[in-house]
Amino acid sequence: MKVLLADDAEVVRLLIGRFVESLGHQLILANDGIEAVEQCMAEQPDMVLMDMLMPRLDGPEAGRQIKQRMSARWVPIVLITAVEEVTKLADAMEIGADDYLLKPVNFRILEAKIKAIERTVELNRKVREQAEKLAGYFDRAEEEKRVARHLMEQLVNRERLSDPQLHSWIAPAESLSGDLVAAARTPGQVLHLMLADGIGHGLTAALNVLPLTQPFYAMTERGFALTDILMEMHRKVRQVLPVGRFVAVAFVAVDFVKRTIEVWNGGIPELQLYDDRGGVLKRWPSRHLPLGILPIDALELETERYQFNRRANLVLCSDGLLEARNEFGEAFGVTRLGLACGGRPAAEALTRTVDMLSDFLGGASCHDDVSLAIVDLDPDAVLPLPEHVEVGELPQIAGEARWRYVLSLGAEELKTLHTVPLIMGFISQVKPLTQAHADIFLILTELFVNAVDHGLLELSSDIKEGTDGMEVYLAERARRLVALREGRVEIELAGYDLGGRTMLRIRVADSGAGFDWSWQEAPDNLRPSGRGIALVNALCASLRFFGNGNTVEACYLTRQAL
Amino acid sequence: MTAIVEIDGQTGRLLLSGQFDFSAHRDFRQACDEVLGAAGVNEVLVDFQQVDYLDSSALGMLLLLKEKAAAAGKTLALVNCRDTVRQVLEIACFGKIFTIR
Repeated sequence: MKVLLADDAEVVRLLIGRFVESLGHQLILANDGIEAVEQCMAEQPDMVLMDMLMPRLDGPEAGRQIKQRMSARWVPIVLITAVEEVTKLADAMEIGADDYLLKPVNFRILEAKIKAIERTVELNRKVREQAEKLAGYFDRAEEEKRVARHLMEQLVNRERLSDPQLHSWIAPAESLSGDLVAAARTPGQVLHLMLADGIGHGLTAALNVLPLTQPFYAMTERGFALTDILMEMHRKVRQVLPVGRFVAVAFVAVDFVKRTIEVWNGGIPELQLYDDRGGVLKRWPSRHLPLGILPIDALELETERYQFNRRANLVLCSDGLLEARNEFGEAFGVTRLGLACGGRPAAEALTRTVDMLSDFLGGASCHDDVSLAIVDLDPDAVLPLPEHVEVGELPQIAGEARWRYVLSLGAEELKTLHTVPLIMGFISQVKPLTQAHADIFLILTELFVNAVDHGLLELSSDIKEGTDGMEVYLAERARRLVALREGRVEIELAGYDLGGRTMLRIRVADSGAGFDWSWQEAPDNLRPSGRGIALVNALCASLRFFGNGNTVEACYLTRQAL
Repeated sequence: MTAIVEIDGQTGRLLLSGQFDFSAHRDFRQACDEVLGAAGVNEVLVDFQQVDYLDSSALGMLLLLKEKAAAAGKTLALVNCRDTVRQVLEIACFGKIFTIR
């Protein structure tokens, strides 16, 4: 140790100094209090031995100044005092001194005291070192969290949550959320909504839900179905997360045109549907294991469908909301959620739930991430049919097509390929069609589904009537598709230049017996299929059927640039 | 949470009590290793009688135990689940991959 010894008597400096040096310590000397303070600043000793009475500045005051100036570092100060000065000791120790020695100095005690102080100094040094390390860790952790938060926000595409029919809220338990709410529209304007809950909370939980975002947005954009996206998300989660990590997911697809909801719930608390008077119309409890647990091909993809006819609130939330506990250990629960969400407009339902939770908790914090999403199922929230694009006399298509894309699919391919997303993958590469993806997706889907369903599978749209109509129709469709042995659908897309605009010609032909397209003349807007073909008709410059109805040609003209 | 291991012939019982969440990680793992390493045990029971709460990280630990038990060729069952515990297991549909009694 480095020991500072301050005493105005040379004999003391010599005597005690020699002894301190003989113990193996480094010695620094000072003649009075002022010198002691100066030496302390200059030499940074580990301890100070100081006489009580010194000229210019006495021991207690020098001790006070040293303590003040060395604020960050602890320097123990031992005052050497005569018996008659003992009364002043208490004051001296109040303002800075740590210990004292009585004169005449007993060397045996001095040695013991130095050793004791040495132990304390060492302990002090370790604590300071650890505190610095801890502060370092803290800074690094904060920085990592900042980066992770930024990354999450980018990947989660916050702006897409601003769907007019969607109201959502997330409150992380820590600075990062392990809950995720994501929403996007397919090119056909079907709302895809996902509420995911990763294990735990904070950074590791956030990392769990990250693999979901890319397939969700990319595949929704291309018009893939809910189950295809789920399968891909499951594959991703299995690929990147270790055993024991999984993600609970509720996935909802809302088609406002057909007024259907499709639900898949793996590990999220019951989804609730409240009508405009607060009653519960329907519940969707979890029917599946969360993503990431089962082997890739063992994932169960059965979804549940529901037809809505009047305005209602579809409510999804993570267990963090239902299990949020107040100071009495009581859980928020589904009854409170129902009171907040039922019988009022969706936006109000959301703020009401948030307010109710905050009142309920009374300032306590949640121990888990909380997320809530409410979909305003408004049957009138359908984009109106686009105005029919009047082009007058359709210009004759002259000359060669700039490009041609031809696809010919047999029965096996029709069973397994995702035909429309596949073609959309190509369309998305064609520059002049950038603004027209949604239109083209709708036209393609409608024409292709018509060719397969009515042309090859000979399904009648009448089956769709009635409350379970859609369910029955889809089940029958799946049955006939599996049984399909022969059949072919030919799709041809061709792009033409037409005075600065692009004309897209879509031809779809099926090998079926042809179908009755007389309904086309009187489209009934309430009938899903009728509305579909009316929509195509409105979007296209022309729509013509050939032969016995098994070949259809649609010409689509990109809108004039504004 | 505490985890106590009781061996009775071929049955190894993991008696859990308290809150089963991430803080139980180390205790649970040690108890798992102990019960799976015990000679002669071919059936492992996780006893939830004294557990009043479990969260998603607990579910993750159960999945890990399931994997380890399968690798060691031992059967596994979750027993004596009270309502709060049963509810969490039901939402996660763990009945599809665990024997719950």
